[in-house]
Amino acid sequence: MNDIINDIAGKEYQGGFVTEVAQDYVPKGLNEDIIRLISSKKQEPEWLLSFRLDAFRKWQKMTPPNWAHLKLPEIDYQDIIYYAAPIRDEDRPSEIDPALMETFDKLGIPLHEREALAGVKGKANVAVDAVFDSVSVKTTFSKTLSEKGIIFCSFAEAAREYPELVRKHLASVVPVGDNFFAALNSAVFSDGTFCYIPKGVKCPMELSSYFRINASGTGQFERTLIVADEDSQLSYMEGCTAPMRDSHQLHAAVVEIVVEKGADVKYSTVQNWYPGDAQGRGGILNLVTKRGLCKGEGSHLSWTQVETGSAITWKYPSTILKGDYSSSEFYSVAMTNNYQQADTGTKMIHLGRGTRSRIVSKGISAGHSENSYRGLVNMAPGATGARNYSQCDSLLIGSQCGAHTFPLIRNRCSSAVVEHEATTSKISEDQLFYCTQRGISEEDAVGLIVGGYAKEVLSRLPMEFAVEARKLLSVSLEGSIG
Amino acid sequence: MMDKVYIIGKDSIPERISLSDSQEFRACFVALAGADAGMSLEIDIDGRDCLVDIAGVCLCTGEQKASVNVTVRHNCPGSRSYQQFLSIASGESRAYFDGLVYVAPGAGGTKAEQQSRSLLLDSRAFVEARPQLEIYADDVECSHGCTSGYLDEDELFYLRSRGIPEQQAKKFQMIAFLSPVLGRLDEELKQTIYDSLP
Repeated sequence: MNDIINDIAGKEYQGGFVTEVAQDYVPKGLNEDIIRLISSKKQEPEWLLSFRLDAFRKWQKMTPPNWAHLKLPEIDYQDIIYYAAPIRDEDRPSEIDPALMETFDKLGIPLHEREALAGVKGKANVAVDAVFDSVSVKTTFSKTLSEKGIIFCSFAEAAREYPELVRKHLASVVPVGDNFFAALNSAVFSDGTFCYIPKGVKCPMELSSYFRINASGTGQFERTLIVADEDSQLSYMEGCTAPMRDSHQLHAAVVEIVVEKGADVKYSTVQNWYPGDAQGRGGILNLVTKRGLCKGEGSHLSWTQVETGSAITWKYPSTILKGDYSSSEFYSVAMTNNYQQADTGTKMIHLGRGTRSRIVSKGISAGHSENSYRGLVNMAPGATGARNYSQCDSLLIGSQCGAHTFPLIRNRCSSAVVEHEATTSKISEDQLFYCTQRGISEEDAVGLIVGGYAKEVLSRLPMEFAVEARKLLSVSLEGSIG
Repeated sequence: MMDKVYIIGKDSIPERISLSDSQEFRACFVALAGADAGMSLEIDIDGRDCLVDIAGVCLCTGEQKASVNVTVRHNCPGSRSYQQFLSIASGESRAYFDGLVYVAPGAGGTKAEQQSRSLLLDSRAFVEARPQLEIYADDVECSHGCTSGYLDEDELFYLRSRGIPEQQAKKFQMIAFLSPVLGRLDEELKQTIYDSLP
């Protein structure tokens, strides 16, 4: 822990640089012509364009949600550039721009397959789909994976190459009109990842998406669709960063996961968008809809998230437990500092017999931040023998911040059991005294205690992510003591 | 001091209560089976060393609807509040609980506990619980617990294997479930509750 803190001491937000690269933009603003333009730039089939236009018409009639415990700044949707892509070198159209390669190198995202294969970085193999502003710049290991029948490519490519699969599952979990931001995403979504694991296949490596916002004045609207066919297995990771800017940038993503009978999907996120500066200027507005459908019997979906970034987080990764005896978990650590605001949690919708879910949420608020857990556990009449257990703890560091818990429990099934407990407290003086009395500085001690507090969730993360998440937590804590 | 007992739907229940230094507020709220019942109570703790200790029992049968809405605001440091609400829903009844514990900035040293438990006896009954914590001070100990479930099969088996008929055994289980609050009520009311258990 000490090494980690020393390692990052003095460093601020690490992903905060800007890459100088020629970009192709669409004009500012949002109307049907812009949507047609985005669609044509991505060479999309006709059905996808009408899907977008239908979503746009729905969105125009909707109003932004205001029930969250957030002070959301007014967003001018006509003042956003909805598409920005780095221009490809015309002489070498198949190669990735060295400046982009360098960007992802700097962020520690391995885009060199050969190196990773040879184990140069000493890391396990991870296949990456790297998304830079509105396009996917590179997807690694696509070939290796395709030998097993796994499809792992950018969303735009999938829409062209596998239209039937995409068409069948797109918006099957998050309907177009689900909510204001999901509708906006459906209208203007740029790139994202499509992933299909065939029947009975166990994915041989971790798959991941890395999202990078670079251009200013833009928003990022990625769309991820994961389909795990019967008895397949997948571990998926998602990471993100953005440059430091004084103005807010909008990020409205949709993630849909379809889990068929007997399949097992693990989805991990380390969210590290730029959180704004110490005075609360700038930062990403992270307004995302993530939902999984446990469609078949015995399917399993596990969400793990570490939220340290973003000025505002509005995010509720949810699971619909439709298949009998399906199960889902939600493990979350949300850390807010300075003037960050987070309203995050989960929804577990139990429909099938004998479904099980478990929620473990750890909130940490410091500085002037606001951190809320919001959750729904719903037991439908048919969810006989279903079970849920939720635990939501909040830790307050300093007297200027807020920590809130807003669970909602709905039970319509007389053989289902729901249990929820939550606690809110500050770091115990005794623990702090114990550490400082042994010569550990107060800041290190707080890092240590917070690390222990979040351990239950961090231990669920894949190896590479766990190390990064611990580092991030200690960076985010810096300056919150005293 | 004995708890003040209010029958929801029959007695007039205060809507707002404000406590100043060292005041205590202890009360029990009972919703008896048979008629729709609703209550809404806001308690402001505006002084130090105050104590709020409230509890409630809701029995919902038939197509009855019962709703309990309680807000406790800790506006001053160093006070305590305890809440415990139990409900049993049978038939096609609906039981709602909406509770908020608010701790204002600067209200350090606050201790707050909020519990809501419910039992569903029939497949068409419905329970909705919203136990909420909104906390703006760091030196606090706040917790809430919320459960919703059914009568335990193992307990029932234990009782029946000792010769207690099923209906009687279930009644025992319900009484045991309600007992933390029943202990605060007088004999007459307790008997009324026993008799009205489904």
